[in-house]
Amino acid sequence: MSLSQETLEAHLNDPAVLCCRRPAGTVLSAADFEDPTIFPDLVDSNLMTLKEGGLTIKQALGATLINDGEALTQLTPELLDGIAADEPEPAESEPAEPEPSDSAEPADESSCCCSAAPAPAPAVTTSDGYVHLHLDKAEGLDLSFPVGAVSGAPVPPAAPVAPAPAPAEPEDETPADRVLRTLVKKDYPVTKVVLGDATSYADGVLTIDKSLVEAAKKADPLVKDVTMEVIDPSDRHVYSNTIMDVIPVAAKAEGKLGEGVTNVLSGAVFVLTGMDEAGVQVHEFGSCEGYMDEKIRYGRPGCPDENDIMIRVDVKIEKGTGMERRGPFAAHSAVDVIVHACREAIKDLSGVKPVKEETFKDVRRSGKPRVVLVKEIMGQGAMHDNLLVPSEPCGVKGGQKNVDLGNVPVVLSPNEVLDGGIHALACIGPATKEITRHFFREPMVEALQTDEELDLTGVVFIGSPQVNDEKTFVSERLGALIEAMEVDGAIVTTEGFGNNHIDFSENIAAIGSRGVPVVGVTFAAYQGQLVVGNKYMDAMIELNKDPEGFENEILADNTTTPEDAARAILMLKTKMAGIPIEPAEHKWDESVIEANKKLV
Amino acid sequence: MPTKFKLTTAKGLKSEIYVPITPKPVWTPLTKPLSECKVAFITSGGIHKKDQTPFNTAGDWSYREIPSDTPSDELMVTHGGFDNSDINKDVNAMLPIDRLRELVKEGFIGSLVPTFFGFMGGGGNVDKFEHVTGPEIAKKLKAEGADIVLATGGCGTCHRSCTLVLRCCEAEGMSTCIIAALPPIARQQGAPRITAPLVPIGSNAGEPNNPQMQMGILKDTLNAMEEFDHFGQMKALPYEYRHNV
Repeated sequence: MSLSQETLEAHLNDPAVLCCRRPAGTVLSAADFEDPTIFPDLVDSNLMTLKEGGLTIKQALGATLINDGEALTQLTPELLDGIAADEPEPAESEPAEPEPSDSAEPADESSCCCSAAPAPAPAVTTSDGYVHLHLDKAEGLDLSFPVGAVSGAPVPPAAPVAPAPAPAEPEDETPADRVLRTLVKKDYPVTKVVLGDATSYADGVLTIDKSLVEAAKKADPLVKDVTMEVIDPSDRHVYSNTIMDVIPVAAKAEGKLGEGVTNVLSGAVFVLTGMDEAGVQVHEFGSCEGYMDEKIRYGRPGCPDENDIMIRVDVKIEKGTGMERRGPFAAHSAVDVIVHACREAIKDLSGVKPVKEETFKDVRRSGKPRVVLVKEIMGQGAMHDNLLVPSEPCGVKGGQKNVDLGNVPVVLSPNEVLDGGIHALACIGPATKEITRHFFREPMVEALQTDEELDLTGVVFIGSPQVNDEKTFVSERLGALIEAMEVDGAIVTTEGFGNNHIDFSENIAAIGSRGVPVVGVTFAAYQGQLVVGNKYMDAMIELNKDPEGFENEILADNTTTPEDAARAILMLKTKMAGIPIEPAEHKWDESVIEANKKLV
Repeated sequence: MPTKFKLTTAKGLKSEIYVPITPKPVWTPLTKPLSECKVAFITSGGIHKKDQTPFNTAGDWSYREIPSDTPSDELMVTHGGFDNSDINKDVNAMLPIDRLRELVKEGFIGSLVPTFFGFMGGGGNVDKFEHVTGPEIAKKLKAEGADIVLATGGCGTCHRSCTLVLRCCEAEGMSTCIIAALPPIARQQGAPRITAPLVPIGSNAGEPNNPQMQMGILKDTLNAMEEFDHFGQMKALPYEYRHNV
């Protein structure tokens, strides 16, 4: 594949390889070089090897082949006559765009201060404002002409290039931020959980009525058995069925979801586990049954924290329903009966002093770049479903199933997300799934919402449908939504990997093709490496934390952390500022991620 | 926008995930037995009739119609991207026209379309191949009733040009397969089906004057087409030929 002049510019420092057979005496030009972007594939398939000591395209350009050269021959000094001498690289080439954060620096002076005239008269044209030099043969060529002389205007040879005018820095009139709604999460500590005769919360003790288990069994005809037990942080070496969800106890004390006051129990969370009557774990791609001290990445946003008491509710559902939508939904409905009783017990805690209060604000920051967070959620059925905006934080009742909504994009305010606006049934691989607690403290939402350089417009949830043409339909709706929102930047995240990466790439394309800078965030690494892609996926954040790059069946291990969110946001800002993001390595490479972390 | 906002940025950030850029799938399932199929052959390896205008080796998106009953000694190659000596010895190394007629005679395939197509895909203009040459060839082959379109690439860019045209054919409702000397390119460019004998570019359809190998590659390719059940599959074929130019 020969190079066009344009692609040539981008690859001057890449290895020079002949694209096609060329006879001795060929003076090398763009048309003679293979496109370096396909080298990795060629090397992988043993069609080509790249050795040390090869020439770059810049060096080989204009040189003459000494002998006939085969296609895919790497060019080395001994194969060529008249290799261009290496000019010293200008240190760190500045991005074309002036840096937004600093005052503009003067444009790079391209100093042509050489001597002596070339022997043959070169053809020079200036019709388009550029100097075009054509030389049939160039040997010992030096060029020397005053900058600006080609226009005919007398310019003193030493005249410095006028610095580009500083970008008109908008006068800091800082339009007042507009707070759309405020949410206060009041944290109440739990130091002990007791199974008793009535449900109550007092003095740090959460007592749960044992008989709720019986009520939970009646939540759905598919529920065959429910058990509940309390697991203390000091005693976690307990065997467990696969973990379907982690659910905080949070209740609206004032206002509706996303505003007002939410009371939250800290120090204890519900953990839903399950299997069917035949003993089949309720899971899909990977299962995390095993010892709870080993199978949970404690401290991840979705997981129990290091010192959390776990209230494990294990649900047995009808045989064979684990991979149908109704089975996992029944299990979630069952646990919600118990969680809801706890919510009722903490709805009114007036008079009790919270240990902590967190305030969340949906803010319109006029004058700041408008950004949107797009979160892809699973919508293929079975447990690949989510309940949007339930009546109570992290609840089941009142939630709309994204599968039933046709997986079309639905906008939530950041506060709605952080107030438990998503109850996740998702049971894709345990390490990559975003579970209910994850959304309750979504690190990307929290970071974007509080970032004073950005105006977070909203959080779009888009499902990943099962049928290919539906995938295209929802992605196209997303594109239209983004267009209507007039955003300046977007981050697209997805849980899981595999077929939903088709949606992921289509969603990114739907945004990127509208000229909106977009950053993609997913687990890919080794096991989940992308099988599809497009040119808009040029700024990507890897969520993998597993040393081997696998879906390792440790709950939430490969999900978004605050650190990942910080990288993604920096990458988005950088891309929005027009500063290039370097292309990815051909393979997953942890050192790239480490290097990016250092830049945050 | 870059100058409009004050943003914390960093130089030297690198994208963390490799993204293979492949076009979207295009797929026409093969529904008839091979013995009832009408087969077409196209090549981007620069084959044309000796009495036709040669290709411009610097890049050319025109094509030549080659009647499928053309005697092989009336064909030639014009291509600057690879050693032509094998094709000069036996044009069947790139366009196995004699073998295809033998396949009909044998009853292995039903018939051939009246017209094959030759073009020179080296350095091919992607836009032209995708939007002009490809659709034109696809329409003509469809009009001639082709069920199957087989193809050989040639050089690297030829594989790309060839794949672009095959994708047009597939979209037009014909089942296609490229016999690829450079399968990664065919795959990256989105070839619906790929078979890959170990052959050098320049004799993509098998060693010159080795009818047995050429026939084997064709038959294995056609059989593989019956096995492939979704877009983008590839099968390596057990034929190896190396030439020392």
